Parts: sequence; structure tokens; C-alpha cells
Amino acid sequence: MFKSKELNRIFSVVLQYASLSAFGLFTMFPLLWALSFGLSSDGSYAYLFPDSFLPHVADEAGGYGIGATLVWFERVFVEIPFSVYFKNSVIITTLAVVGTVVISVLAAYPLSRMRFFGRNFIFVAIIATLMLPQETALVPNYITIVKLGNFADWLQLTLTGSDAATWKKLIGMNSYLGVVLPGVAGAFGIFLMKQAFEAVPQDLIDAARVDGATEMQILWRVMLPVTTPSIAALAIFTLVNQWNEYIWSSIVMRAKDMQPLAVGVFNDLTGPLSGSQNTLMAAIVLTVIPVLIFFAFTQRYFISGMDGAVK
Amino acid sequence: MKNSNFMAYFFLAPALILMGVFVFWPVGFNTYLAFNHYEIAGGAVEWNNFENFKRIWEEDLFHQAVKNSLFFLLVVPAIQLGSLLIAKLVNNKMPGMTFFRAVYYIPVITAISIAGIVWQFVFKYDGMLNSFLTEIVHFLHIYPKEQLVDIDWLGDPDIAMYSIMIFTLWKGLGYYMVLYLAGLQAIPAEVEEAAILDGANAWDRFWKITIPMVKPTILLCTMLSTIGALKVFLEVLVLTDGKAETYTALYYVYDQAFRNYDFGVAAAAGLVVTFFCMILAAIQFRFFGEK
Repeated sequence: MFKSKELNRIFSVVLQYASLSAFGLFTMFPLLWALSFGLSSDGSYAYLFPDSFLPHVADEAGGYGIGATLVWFERVFVEIPFSVYFKNSVIITTLAVVGTVVISVLAAYPLSRMRFFGRNFIFVAIIATLMLPQETALVPNYITIVKLGNFADWLQLTLTGSDAATWKKLIGMNSYLGVVLPGVAGAFGIFLMKQAFEAVPQDLIDAARVDGATEMQILWRVMLPVTTPSIAALAIFTLVNQWNEYIWSSIVMRAKDMQPLAVGVFNDLTGPLSGSQNTLMAAIVLTVIPVLIFFAFTQRYFISGMDGAVK
Repeated sequence: MKNSNFMAYFFLAPALILMGVFVFWPVGFNTYLAFNHYEIAGGAVEWNNFENFKRIWEEDLFHQAVKNSLFFLLVVPAIQLGSLLIAKLVNNKMPGMTFFRAVYYIPVITAISIAGIVWQFVFKYDGMLNSFLTEIVHFLHIYPKEQLVDIDWLGDPDIAMYSIMIFTLWKGLGYYMVLYLAGLQAIPAEVEEAAILDGANAWDRFWKITIPMVKPTILLCTMLSTIGALKVFLEVLVLTDGKAETYTALYYVYDQAFRNYDFGVAAAAGLVVTFFCMILAAIQFRFFGEK
């Protein structure tokens, strides 16, 4: 016989796992449903609860059984230019990660380790931008990007005399840089790296100075090696944010062959020409999976690495 | 520290130039646009005597948008209580907690546009949610067998805003859970152990120990999600696209700018939103600025 105390404890553990699983089902069901939908041979069972959470495949006799088919996942690559979107996502995200890390590191070093005119003012100005709703910058930045493109056009015409309009493809509308540039210099990255640099012991820097190292060498040889965890955190956050970014990319990337996954897949799936719902769900799963795999390896940076952000 | 103006500004230059062009300049330019008419074709700008502000002051659509944005604040207490409870649950030292934390965080790292499509199918007239509810009401014998639940979650103006809130809740719980976890882990284990020895039950411990001790985190998260709720707009864009009276303030800004190409009106409405966000952010900085 269990004592009532023991029984109570078991009951509370069971209750806890039950609520944990219930919450888990709430957060996971859209993805699980999409996966099962995409693996089914058609939509017959897709809206029947709870059958819709297991993939159903039609057999020769016309009956349905539980099974899986990859035919819709293959269709994704035929019906929508999935690999083009994927390539664009990779290019845009790489540019954003490299740009954000380089610019944040460069800006954070003097802010944390050098004394110069206007230091506090610049730091406060950078931090104050956190208060601005970035969404209201969409219109001015759109105009800026259009003008940058026109300026590149004019520059090409003046300098080379050619009216091929190839330079504006580098910086104007429908350009990778146009998507990435507005976001790479931000308060979050600079603040994160400043905190990391401030934790480096002064003796280390003094020793390097005595040895005659330049500021660039100190940053590269002394500061960077000891702050790799923070740089990794910044890179990982930037990667996931940029991979998922939708609104600005959808404004800049009007040309279909330049769109990243989050924009291209959304437009194709909600547009008038969207294909079967099975293909749609397969495309959704294919879009989410790269982030999930990445998250599986780096999740500690998201789930425990943000402690510093609160304290 | 070494005194060297040139090197410092050399390092800072890329960040300052980019932020100047894409963060600081938009503030000024947006304010300027709000008082002018912007000719989209040629880029000509013309002073129009507060016409933009008069228009949003009088337009019903903008009133509705502001009302919806304020109404959306309802999601703040729900998301805070929900994420604090989840954080409390996954903060136990039981096997499998890392797994559950990861599962709860997955909506946060899913692209909003992609998640929005799945939820459109969940909320559809003949979608997942209605089929789920039909199962339940049949099981409980509330509805006769042939009657189905047919709520138009995203098409009915009385319900659509609530559906968007459910989506926001789904997407945001994990984010705040992580912030609360950090707060919870700062509570010394002895405090709770002492309370257990004194015979306090779980309910009392939650209200008398957990809540008071994570109060700073609650304040921070409430501020963050209040600002987030006032700025809600992508959720609307991917779920209803403004149909069923779901315009919010920032959705109105986006709609005026990139569908109507009326940059002046968009800038004026954006300025109003900025003003409210700045006030909230200033309060937030007063609370947390010194830390």
C-alpha cells in the first residue's frame, strides 16, 4: 500500500507531465498537422480530427490506410521555385550574419575600451533607438533604397558611360544588399558585444599594448578569441531572425527570383495560383525544417543563453 | 583606456553611417513626410497644411484601427500568465524538461508568414479547429450528430480579432517563457523549501513566493508585450489581410504606404504610433534604466 503522501506525489508528477504535454500539443500541432497533411496522398482525411494527425494513403482498391508518401514533397520543387528561394535565403542570411557581427564588433570595441570625444552621447543615442518602432521606418527606408538604386544607375552612367543599369541590381530594389543593409547595424548587437568586451580583463589588453600591438591587432588577436561565446550568440540570433524575416524582404524583393523562402513561399501559397493543399503543407514543412535542425543544435543559446538579457 | 579619437571613430564609422541612414534619418524624414504630400511618381514633396492629420483624424478606418490596437492589449495578461505558468512547469528538476522547453520555443523560431498560412487552414470555415470542436461537441452530446461547428474564425468581424490573439499567444508564449525562466532561476531554492516545510501548498507558494520574487521580470515582460501588442500588424497581414474589420494602427500605416501609395498619410499615422510607443518605452526605461 502507498501512503497517502506518496500517492499525492505521484499524482502531482502525473498532473505536471499531463499539463506539459497538453501545452506541447498546443505549440506543436500546426507543424505536426502540416507534416501529416503533406505526407498523405490526398486531402480526404486532412480535416477529420483526430485522423488528420496521421498521414493516410489511398490504396489501389480506393480505401485509405495509414501510410506516407513523398510525392507532394517532390511536387514542391516542381510547382514552386523552392531551390531559388532557398538559395536567396542562404545568401541573404549569410550577408546579414557576417555584416552584423563585423559591424557590431567594430563599433562595440571603442565604446567599451577606448576613451574618445562623444563616447557617452553616441552610446546613449544607439541604445535610444530601441524605443523607436522600426515599422515606421519602412516607408523612409523604401524611398532610400529606391534612391540608392537610382544613384547607382547615375554613377554607372557617369563613370562608365554605359546605360546597362547593372549597378542598381547591387544596392537598389531587388538586391541582396538592399534587404540586408538597413538591419546590420543595430543596438542589440552593439550592446551585446559591448557587454562581452567589458568583461575582458584590462591586464590582457595592457600586455598586448606593451608588446606594441595596434588597436586592430588587440581587437583581432586578444578580444575576439575570448569573446567567441557572445559572437556565436549574436550570429545565431541574427541567423534565425533574418531567415524568418518577412515584411522588409517582401517590400524590397519584388522580383520573384530574388525572394527568400519566407516571402516567396508565402506569396506562392496564398496567391491565386496556389497548387494543391498537400503541396502547400509539404512546402511549409520544407521551409521550417532547416530552422528546426539548426535550432536542435543551438537551442541552449536561445533557451538558457538569454539570462544575461534580463539581469 | 587609451585616448584616441581617430581610431575610435574609424571603428565606429560603419555602424554610425548605416544607423544614420537607416535608423536616424527615417525618424526625421517620416516626421517631414507627415506634414507633406509625397508624389510617388516623381518624388515631389509639397506642404499640404496638416491635410494628412486631418484625414486620419476624420477617417473611420483609422479610428477602427486604433480601437483594434487598443483592444489587442487584452492579449497581454493572457500571454503573461500563460508564459509564467509554463516557465514554472519547466523549471522543475524532472527528466525531459529541456525537451519541453525546446518544444515550447518552436513557434518563436517559425517564420510568421509560414506559421500564418498553417493557421489560416486551422481557422478556416471548414478547417482544423472547427473539426476539432465538432468532435468535442458530439462527444459531449451538445450538438446533434448531423450538426457541425461552423464558426468563421477569420471572417466574422466579431471573432477575427480574438483569432489573431490566439495566434499571437501561440507565437509568443515561448519567448516570454524563456525570460521568466531566467527570473525563476534567480530565486534561491531554500526559500521555496522553507515554505514547503512550513506547510504552504502549491497555490500559496505560487502567489506568495513566485509572483513577488519575479516581479521585476513581470514588469519587464508586461512592458515588452504591451508595446508588442500596440504594434501588432504582421499577424493581421498574414492571417486576415485586414478583412473582417481587423485593421490595426500599424496595419493601417502599411496599407496606406504600400497599397495606396499615400506616403504622407502613412507617415502621419506612423508618427501617432511612434508617439505612443515612445511614451511607453520612456516608462519602461524609468523602471529598468538603472539596471
